[in-house]
Amino acid sequence: MPAKYGVPSDADYNQRLAEFEARIHRGEKIEPGDWMPEEYRRQLIRMISQHAHSEVVGMLPEGAWITRAPTLKRKMILIAKVQDEAGHGQYLYHAAETLGVSREAMLEALLSGKAKYSSIFNYPTLTWADIGTIGWLVDGAAIKNQTMLAACSYGPYSRAMVRICAEETFHHKQGKEMVLLYAKGTPKQRQMAQDAINRWWWPALMMMGPHDADSPNSEVLTRWGIKTKSNDTVRQEFINEHAPEILEAGLTLPDPDLRYDEATGNWMHGPINWDEFWQVVKGNGPMNKERLEARRRAHDDGAWVREALEAYATRQTAVAV
Amino acid sequence: MDTQWSRWEVFKQDTPNKPHQAVGSVHAADPQHALLTARNVFARRPQAVSMWVVQADDIFSWTKEELAESKAHRAESFLALSPQPSPLSSYAVFRKTSHKRSMTFVDYVGEVKARSPEEALEQALATFTDTEALSWWIVPTDKVYRSDPSQETVESWFAPARDKTYKQQQYYATIGSHVSKHKTGRENDDEE
Repeated sequence: MPAKYGVPSDADYNQRLAEFEARIHRGEKIEPGDWMPEEYRRQLIRMISQHAHSEVVGMLPEGAWITRAPTLKRKMILIAKVQDEAGHGQYLYHAAETLGVSREAMLEALLSGKAKYSSIFNYPTLTWADIGTIGWLVDGAAIKNQTMLAACSYGPYSRAMVRICAEETFHHKQGKEMVLLYAKGTPKQRQMAQDAINRWWWPALMMMGPHDADSPNSEVLTRWGIKTKSNDTVRQEFINEHAPEILEAGLTLPDPDLRYDEATGNWMHGPINWDEFWQVVKGNGPMNKERLEARRRAHDDGAWVREALEAYATRQTAVAV
Repeated sequence: MDTQWSRWEVFKQDTPNKPHQAVGSVHAADPQHALLTARNVFARRPQAVSMWVVQADDIFSWTKEELAESKAHRAESFLALSPQPSPLSSYAVFRKTSHKRSMTFVDYVGEVKARSPEEALEQALATFTDTEALSWWIVPTDKVYRSDPSQETVESWFAPARDKTYKQQQYYATIGSHVSKHKTGRENDDEE
């Protein structure tokens, strides 16, 4: 089978690259089996596997609150949401596998601590109001990013994003509803909601990644239609939607520089603390160790289920023969 | 390193009048395990009435680009299994026909009889000519494992997703309105 992943040293690389870029320019989706630059494949595996790991680790901060949900209805909603995150991890691992990376290799990278996932999940969930705030702000930021990625040029990634966005809109809405109810609630509830907004606002803004000027992969990702909007553009969309709604609810935002700019119609934010961002990325966030330990424990505790399933399958095969 | 078992491609049928569509894959130890996992991963929302699973190695795929180059790529296990043309057998044919935004890949279009997957592809190209295909999948029909079509199974597998209305964004429609219009007080929403 000829290599489908082209490298610049290939004799026909430039010609094929031109055809590939023309396809993307025409709005065609690249599918498994089509020719693609090795660098396109590498960037996609990096992004999609990190995205998959984020969905899986993202279950942990919320899953811890399932037993403490204040009402049966809220518990059912939270269970459904955490179950969705597990499913979204599966969709994304599938998309990455179409590029020739194995599920085993990706899981190994996550469990060994080698793989990265979204830093937002290395912050603690201190009160029940955090659960609503995560839905509203963290899922809100994720949806902005995922809506952008749904338009991406790689078919399997685009399809996973379309499915995820359709499901995740409920995560965003249930979170917004919870925070708005608390904002109209007792003084204690209002204080809990405000405290959660104060803690999650900045980490949510960091979710879109470094400023465009400091985002080394952006140029090639944009040229090949993987990213269809820049980090700062997506961040601005998120702020423009959420800042007025939060203020309207009678809550405040922890940014003294935040102001509405009449000329551009944008809500301008103050400086983001990128030192904190990089510290968390490097593993020094408040919860990095706990998250990885919880993930490993879940994997190890599930070993007997995997063994039982395998033994059953082996016996069925033996019976069939 | 733990094994994650084989990969199985999953096809979901939304309603009896629609074709089964490729939605993604799961890892599983056997067909029943694959179907059950497929149900948990891909039918958490309506609609679904039936699911199929096929082990990834049993799928023969060609993109339009590959066909143009006549460089069909094949599942290696099957090549090893059938060095000689086999007797006439049935193949399920799936294809993708649009670049439009979608959450599904190839759709089931029908069956053909052939002696090899390559011949089945030729049959498919000659049979399903109404519109141009961007990708083809050819699967030996006996490698397609199907969910139980009995009413009882269909209900128990797929009805719960319909009843869990809190997973639908319309359930939260009231919060789409301007927040100042909200008269809701403290949270006591489980008594409804």
